[in-house]
Amino acid sequence: MSNIEIGLWSFPVLLTLIFLRIPIGLAMLAVGFGGTYLVNGSTLMTMGQMKHLVFGTFSSYSLSIIPLFLLMGQFATLSGMSAGLFKAAESWLGHRKGGVAMSAIGACAGFGAICGSSLATAATMGQVALPELRRYGYSGPLATGTLAAGGTLGILIPPSVILVIYAILTEQNIAKLFAAAFIPGILAALGYILTIAIYVRIFPDSGGTLERQPYAARFKALIATWPVITIFLLVVGGIYTGIFTPTEAAAVGAAATGFVALINGGLNLTKVKESILATASSTAMIFLIILGAGLFNSFLALTQLPQSSAAWVTEQGFSPWLVLAAVLALYLVFGCVMDSLSMILLTVPIFFPIMIALDFGMTPTDFALWFGILVLIVVEVGLITPPVGMNLFVINSMAKDIPIKDTFKGTFPFVLADIVRVIILAAFPSITLALVWLIY
Amino acid sequence: MYKILDRGIHFLAKSMALIGGAVLIAVIITTCLSITGRALIWAGLGPIQGDFEIVEFGVGFAIFAFLPWCQYARGHARVDLFTPLYGPGMNRVIDLIADIMMFAAAYIIAWRLWIGMLDKQRYTETSFILQLPVWMAYAAACIGAVVFVIVAAFCILRSARQLTGVRT
Repeated sequence: MSNIEIGLWSFPVLLTLIFLRIPIGLAMLAVGFGGTYLVNGSTLMTMGQMKHLVFGTFSSYSLSIIPLFLLMGQFATLSGMSAGLFKAAESWLGHRKGGVAMSAIGACAGFGAICGSSLATAATMGQVALPELRRYGYSGPLATGTLAAGGTLGILIPPSVILVIYAILTEQNIAKLFAAAFIPGILAALGYILTIAIYVRIFPDSGGTLERQPYAARFKALIATWPVITIFLLVVGGIYTGIFTPTEAAAVGAAATGFVALINGGLNLTKVKESILATASSTAMIFLIILGAGLFNSFLALTQLPQSSAAWVTEQGFSPWLVLAAVLALYLVFGCVMDSLSMILLTVPIFFPIMIALDFGMTPTDFALWFGILVLIVVEVGLITPPVGMNLFVINSMAKDIPIKDTFKGTFPFVLADIVRVIILAAFPSITLALVWLIY
Repeated sequence: MYKILDRGIHFLAKSMALIGGAVLIAVIITTCLSITGRALIWAGLGPIQGDFEIVEFGVGFAIFAFLPWCQYARGHARVDLFTPLYGPGMNRVIDLIADIMMFAAAYIIAWRLWIGMLDKQRYTETSFILQLPVWMAYAAACIGAVVFVIVAAFCILRSARQLTGVRT
């Protein structure tokens, strides 16, 4: 068997292990280990690598941002800031048709600005908004669909754990990537609000409205969200003005959200311990996948597979846009069965060299940023599509009376909104890149 | 007997994770102090020397300390899509195999980390600014790695008991 063949065969083996429910990081670690053995005929190289690879990965300065952002997200869920955000959004949007659902989206977007995780956003906003939505007579599908979709704003609007990982994999500037995600994130929130507006016009009895609020009350509610705004400006502003490195910004953000949670009485010793354990579990999971992906990708590089497949795709003379469409479609399909993080870690090292070799008429950096945002959106769709969309289950577990089928039905319009958005962003790269060009 | 063991392992994994968390929080505080100091250079303060190294070593230790808890709490990401197809018996076999594989991975990680530490000790490598011996950071990480091996070994026992139908 030639090395390329070993490389090709490793994929079905890896997927079989993953679908057998072997932890994803472990499966990649095992296939990377086994594959390198087949190529080299010995484990000497891997064993030598392992002496410093693990410690090097775990103590990498740029990766240390991950546990910090995760802890920040945990503190944010305890900080009570979600209720204030929802109230503010309600005072501005509540009187519209479908207004309470729109407010939930607005609040999710706000929460996404201090929380980089989709599940935490869905879970936190679900606790606040779900009872309100039910109180104003919102139907099960619309209420749960809204919150599941709104949760995805958590990873789209910076800070975002997945964008950090993409940035590290493709050696891009984290600050630039956050800037690139900003307009698509706002578009996502607006798109979801539009979706709700259309939805309540097709199904008029699916939700009620609140009384219109005077502007004085609206601004008062908005000003009450100042801790969120301050933390966002501190973290993001600190990164852009160059006062902090992204890792320092994450540490400052974690300290600030922790402080707010402490002041609001959301943080006692038990809660701190719970936050640490939740952070510990997600961090260890992510780093095992990073480690596995590292070993697997160094095995793939050994087989020359990424280089030859990139060369092959270029030789075929496919239209770059067709290749892009195919890759994004593949992500959509895989997103339905795999979690977003493993997918990014597994596929970006393979697809990125292929994609960057194609000519889209832009600089490599611009391409990398734009492609990253597109990939982020399509994998995030996986969070709200059955059968394994985690957000759906998180929200559904909070609304015990709503059958999961209704939740699936309710998210469908939002998935359509996502797909429309991906097509728009793919067709007009300047939407994504405008802010980056403006700042840099 | 098993129950006592389970409780002990639970305590071990949890304490390790909490120690890691405490170090993580210490890293956060150090970073915040260092930034404040840097911002107040005009007032005669300054950043903490080697703050980047403190972050690297601290977070590195924390992540090793987090591994046992994630394994004990079954926190690793997996694809549950086909789980209902396999049936309860087959799923228990898969769990056992996954736990054995994880033990092997934990063992290799800990063993190679140890060898890596001996390397660093032999070359008396130190960190760039603080001049801390790097092997010490490796040694601290070894604690988490060894606990990971112990917890992973226990998890094999746990899934073997579930496979053979012993009530837990």
